[in-house]
Amino acid sequence: MPEVKVTTRRRSTGKRETKPSADTTRIAVVGIPASGKTTYFRFLSGHFGLNLPILYIPSRAENGSLPLFGDLENDVALEETTYETTDPTDPEGSLETTTRYYVNRPMEDRRKLWVELSAGRDEQGILTKYPLPTKFNQFVEMKMRFRYAAPEGEAGSRPMELQTVDEAGGIIADYFTYDRIWLDTPEGEVTEKTCRVIPHFDSWRPDRRDLWKRGLTLLGRFVCGADAIILLLSPGLPSLRDQAQQVNLARGVFRYTRTRDLPLVIAVSKADKLKEFYGEVEQSVRERTYRSTFDTTDFLLRRDGAGMGTILVAQEGRGISTKEDVFLISSAVSTGEGHPLFIGETGEEAPNSGTVTMGVPVMVNTTLPLARACERILERRATKGA
Amino acid sequence: MENDGEESASPPTRERNVLLLDLSKSMFAPLPDPETGGPEHQKIEVARTAVFRILQDAATSGHLFGLVTFTETVRVPVPLGDIHRENLPYIENLISLLTPSGRSAIWDAIGVGADLLRMGTQGVQGNLVLVTDGWDNASSRFDVRSDPAAKVPNGRVDLVPYVLPAHSRLTVRIIGIGSGDERDKGVDTGRMNQFVTQMAQRAQELGLPPAFSFQLVTTGSQLFAQMVNAFVDVGYEDDRPIEELHPEELARHAANAARALKEPQQHATVARIRDAQSLTKGGDSPSYAEAPEMEVDFLATGPGGPPAYLKERYGPLGEVVAAYLSGQLDHALELIQRTQGFLPAVTRLYWEARIQYARRAVVEAARALLQAWAEAEKLPPATQAPILRRLAVLQARMQNDKETETLVRFIDDTEHHLVHGDPKVRERLMDLFAKLMELRGTYQLTRLAGEGDLQDAAIKHEAAVEEVFSLLQDARLDLASQGPTVEGALDFIEICLAEMR
Repeated sequence: MPEVKVTTRRRSTGKRETKPSADTTRIAVVGIPASGKTTYFRFLSGHFGLNLPILYIPSRAENGSLPLFGDLENDVALEETTYETTDPTDPEGSLETTTRYYVNRPMEDRRKLWVELSAGRDEQGILTKYPLPTKFNQFVEMKMRFRYAAPEGEAGSRPMELQTVDEAGGIIADYFTYDRIWLDTPEGEVTEKTCRVIPHFDSWRPDRRDLWKRGLTLLGRFVCGADAIILLLSPGLPSLRDQAQQVNLARGVFRYTRTRDLPLVIAVSKADKLKEFYGEVEQSVRERTYRSTFDTTDFLLRRDGAGMGTILVAQEGRGISTKEDVFLISSAVSTGEGHPLFIGETGEEAPNSGTVTMGVPVMVNTTLPLARACERILERRATKGA
Repeated sequence: MENDGEESASPPTRERNVLLLDLSKSMFAPLPDPETGGPEHQKIEVARTAVFRILQDAATSGHLFGLVTFTETVRVPVPLGDIHRENLPYIENLISLLTPSGRSAIWDAIGVGADLLRMGTQGVQGNLVLVTDGWDNASSRFDVRSDPAAKVPNGRVDLVPYVLPAHSRLTVRIIGIGSGDERDKGVDTGRMNQFVTQMAQRAQELGLPPAFSFQLVTTGSQLFAQMVNAFVDVGYEDDRPIEELHPEELARHAANAARALKEPQQHATVARIRDAQSLTKGGDSPSYAEAPEMEVDFLATGPGGPPAYLKERYGPLGEVVAAYLSGQLDHALELIQRTQGFLPAVTRLYWEARIQYARRAVVEAARALLQAWAEAEKLPPATQAPILRRLAVLQARMQNDKETETLVRFIDDTEHHLVHGDPKVRERLMDLFAKLMELRGTYQLTRLAGEGDLQDAAIKHEAAVEEVFSLLQDARLDLASQGPTVEGALDFIEICLAEMR
């Protein structure tokens, strides 16, 4: 049986099945539309629930193990809450929420959960991606719970939470791009007036304006309480407007984390689209003994591997280290034709049958940004404590 | 009679102009043009151009304007007041229909003009411009003494004290058309000089500044030279208005334009634009220029054909533009070459270059444009910036430099669209464009810096981008709902900023 639980309730009723403990550390994941936020959450959940394999390129010196794990006995791994205005014209803006909880106990048939987690947009019932948010009257809050550090370690492990407002890359991009919107307190509210900094905001439909304002407020409050930020950058965006949106978001996130002294980690997602990098991945899949010498920093800075030009160079040492805080990741390495690259039990590439593929997808470096963010949070706390 | 609502005891805050136009039958007569060998123009044609010029100026500058026409009867087709841009076509149409007939009541017309400018105890306040080719032979109310000791005939009012009562602040400029050595061949020079002299004496007696002139023009070229001190341009056939651009097209334009900023070696023309832009910002004191300020116009052309009243508005320059737009390039070239001596050099050379380029005479076009650049350098900053942009667009087209053309055209189009809007909005956007142009410098340093200095250069560039972006956000907030031109310009700048990385 699939261990997926779906409940629907009105905002004012019901009770959440799980609540993060007060000392939960929260990390916000941000990125423009289609930057890979959903995939990042779902594939990481897959890792925590199913132990999906991860390749590290270049290979990590310490056997590829990271102190990140799911706590499936006690907590759900992934929680998605869909906010939907049932009647956009309702001045009260009655919001109905639908929450889905994934993996709150070990799976009997792990593949079924994988199918659910990796379902495409069509299968999830999401029909369109553009214009964003996916639907004018909907956005999704995503939370993934996990623990960091060895459970038997000196201080034990810590509960962590990864958050994002999904289906709302446009909201995220606008929030960080335009600092006139930024909230200074977790109770703050984004106003209609400051929203005018968003291009053409006044010309939007009233219900879209309202939802956007709500989304910005929700995002503003949750990043106010965030302990770190992971910025997802998508390489090779075909649209110039999307490129501009991503650059503006990145510049905004740099400003935000710098002014608030927040740890920032950058993950260049969909890195399998970068030809040079994909070559390394392919070889690593075929030859388990292959040790990659790929120079990520050189690729990002000198060959503009992230499409960020001199922006990354300017940020070096000002809140991030390009060597330690920027990663190339891929949550499901494609074969270059849009099909996930699966590997079978033997470690060989599994043939793509076109239907249900046996085997598991390969993730590359996916956990590294998360582990680094956790590491930086703890370092920061230690420094502050000292 | 409508007045401007400034009938209080305080002096007027806006410039007030009344044009007195002679419509007597003699205005049908031709005005020779031996200097250029060009076709003769009727006096009424050049007089109409004068009216168009002053009207245009009033609509642009917000000055008050009134029109008095006279034959043996004095009429006020346009009472003194605001000239709203939307009313301009109606007034222009009216002027084009003015037909000469009858005799000239010059003194009566001056009296009516003074009445339009009269402000109670403040006397007569404003500027009177009289365009006439004749002798007064029909006035019934006013007269001018033939010498200071003489008296005006019975039943008439002495014009000079009537026009210039105490506390007035009046300028009178008389443009006399044609030599009046012989009666009915031109203006009555002797009587006009008497009037001007008596006005000056009266001003002295009252302690008022003397501001009265009489100017005789005997050829069409002379008259146009006084009236058409302009640089006029029209768009190219493949131009598309910025409001029509799809957002993705706008992004492509911005990305193209950013390339002109990022690669200065390949886009040297941009440097001249930046300099002009910073010049207009001005230093501590405005620079002094001998030449009178030149009018710079960009005329929209559309599917309906060339702009209306081109010839009437711009005289011989209008004829050149009309010929160019109708594809008569050889004729246009012939006409522009005849304008030497009375059109501003930069205008003449620019149009020569443009026509030659259209004729595919690239070498001649380049030579003329080079000279136009040199002439433009001599202009005062306020007029220099928009003219340099038009030169740059032509230069970019000649060099097939799409990036520079896109950048310059966008700035130019934005300014042109906003020319009749709030000047503060225009200034703010042009400031933003200027700041965007300045990023060329910091960006260039990131390209030139060695390994060790790269980070410093990158930090400086990013700080400069951040500053412009901050101004852009303020502009977004302050200028929300200002229309598609403003929003398009802000979108363009925002995408350019993203490209400057």
